[in-house]
Amino acid sequence: MRVLVIEDDSLLAQGLVRVLARAGHAVDRVETGLQADKALRAAAYDLVVLDIGLPDIDGFEVLRRLRLRHSTANVLVLTARDAVEDRVHGLDLGADDYLTKPFSVTEFEARVRALLRRVSLPAGAVSVGGLTVHVEAKSVRCNGAPIDLTVREWALLELFMSRPGRVLSKELIAQQLADYDAQLSPNAIEVYVSRLRSKIEAAGVRIRTVRGFGYLWDATDAAA
Amino acid sequence: MRLPSRFGHPGSIRRRLLLFLIPSLLLLVLSASALTYFVALHVATSAYDRSLLDPALDMAANVRMDSDGPRLALLKQAQEALLYDHEDTLVFQIRAPGGAVIAGDDDLNLPPNLQPGERSFFDSLYRGQPVRVAAVRSDNGLYVQVAETLHKRNRLIWEILAAGLVPALLIATATFVVAWTGVARGLAPLASVRTQLLGRSPQDLHPLDEHRTPDEIAPAIEALNRLLAQLRESNDMQQRFLANAAHQLRTPLAGLQMHLELLLRSKLDAELRDEISGMHVATVRASHLANQLLALAKAEASADDSTSSAPIDLFAVADRAVHEWVQRAIARDIDLGFVLEHTYVTGDAALLEELLDNLLDNALRYTPRGGAVTVRCGTELGHPYLSVEDTGPGIPEAARGRVFERFYRVQGTPGDGAGLGLAIVKEVAQRHRATLQVESREGSAGGTRIVIRFPAAALEIA
Repeated sequence: MRVLVIEDDSLLAQGLVRVLARAGHAVDRVETGLQADKALRAAAYDLVVLDIGLPDIDGFEVLRRLRLRHSTANVLVLTARDAVEDRVHGLDLGADDYLTKPFSVTEFEARVRALLRRVSLPAGAVSVGGLTVHVEAKSVRCNGAPIDLTVREWALLELFMSRPGRVLSKELIAQQLADYDAQLSPNAIEVYVSRLRSKIEAAGVRIRTVRGFGYLWDATDAAA
Repeated sequence: MRLPSRFGHPGSIRRRLLLFLIPSLLLLVLSASALTYFVALHVATSAYDRSLLDPALDMAANVRMDSDGPRLALLKQAQEALLYDHEDTLVFQIRAPGGAVIAGDDDLNLPPNLQPGERSFFDSLYRGQPVRVAAVRSDNGLYVQVAETLHKRNRLIWEILAAGLVPALLIATATFVVAWTGVARGLAPLASVRTQLLGRSPQDLHPLDEHRTPDEIAPAIEALNRLLAQLRESNDMQQRFLANAAHQLRTPLAGLQMHLELLLRSKLDAELRDEISGMHVATVRASHLANQLLALAKAEASADDSTSSAPIDLFAVADRAVHEWVQRAIARDIDLGFVLEHTYVTGDAALLEELLDNLLDNALRYTPRGGAVTVRCGTELGHPYLSVEDTGPGIPEAARGRVFERFYRVQGTPGDGAGLGLAIVKEVAQRHRATLQVESREGSAGGTRIVIRFPAAALEIA
């Protein structure tokens, strides 16, 4: 995949480029907002890693111009931990995810993987650990053996796979699954999740429970 | 600063004013009533004296010169009628030019020396009683005196005294009350300044309200405000410097951390790996410290800034923390749980997130593997609250009061914290006028619960 890193601190930028290159991506790097704008006009990127504090035009402006051109590139914004406004503003302008500095390499890799998987999800088969999912055919194989999912379990699996590495609240799950059913109680969701969990457990994919809140599709171990 | 709370303080302006005002007013009232008394007495005495002169002149007019000398040609009844008074006893005396008593009472003393046609009034004694005497010397040299006891004159004195003193005392009392309340009202602006000063927190460096201060103390308030402004300025500079320094440190630290992590992934011999691993730990600590210093500077700075106050849903604050912290909890094998209700507080979202982050950081840092950390928010007795509880070792009783101090670390605790986390929590809580409560048990059945209780919500967002 093609990735653009927009970061003015050379040490950090070098690190980001190295991580992305090692993951097999084609990486370009620019240091200023104007250079970024130029690069984004010239080529189509799958992922943009965008620092907000840039020497000329800031990251928000780069993002705004990108979305004005109706670009669908995934944008991962890098912000300072204390800058809540930046985070909110970035998401409002159409950023797909954010990461607060400093972050660990593992964290960065997980976010990048999640964003790029989103790009690849609709295209045929997707593999996560021992799990192979054919979205169009609605078939799932666990370590090569086909498994049967109910309509609701399938919807749940799709939901988790579209937001890997993110914690999904029960409210959100109920909202997303409501298309298939009438109102879903938190208890019903627990039942669906535990059924799905037992069916895909063998593939090394974990659905972790965040007590009192929701669930986390934890594919980091499996995918690493 | 200690200010006198009561009127009795020796340095009190009110006391000084009243100590001057009340005796002066009393003296004024007393001298005014004394003056009234003497003027009225003089007027009354001369009126009574004139009426005492009439019988003396009548007597003088009725003295006939016979062959055997002067003789009073008045019947006994006429004499009595002339001398009649319903209150006082009147007596008369007529003496020849030589001094011999011709008629009337012998017991009246000799009159003073008068020229013919002259008259005089004086005080004297008659049979041991004080009397007022009117004396006349007629053209033919006879002395005629009429004396009168002092009953009605004394009664008049008392009446004048009473008529003068009672209103004077009433006026004095009224004046006292007016002075007392007047001084209190006059000093009310001072009291309001005092209330303003006593009511503010030590961090509050806002200027005092200059519009409501009287001209007399305006210069003092202005001077105080200039001082506060200077303090604020130097405070701001210090905070800006700290925030700037911390901010500038973060990006190079983030780069350093990333490179060390990449290095740790490559093939290294054990010794080098240990060294790089140590550098990595130190870098993570330094970033953490830079973030915390920045958070502390921001929390202090915004104590001065009311623009960053908006209704914040604690649920949303905790919701963000779920995403931030769940991976770290998983990595440490700690069961991170949430019991959340929507509840609104007025404040600064970034600071509240910082508060929760530091509570969670602390809880995850000190809770052993396999433990649990639970975040709660909701409303209790009308007050929004946010709490984090853990199954860690607990905070020793003796340290509980000190854990919110900057750079304080409980002795013998593992981990690499700088001791700023709970200081940030305290600073942010204070900024939101929230209270902090620590419940902790030591030992294996231990655990710590830190509760932040906010003031009752001012508004509810639908």
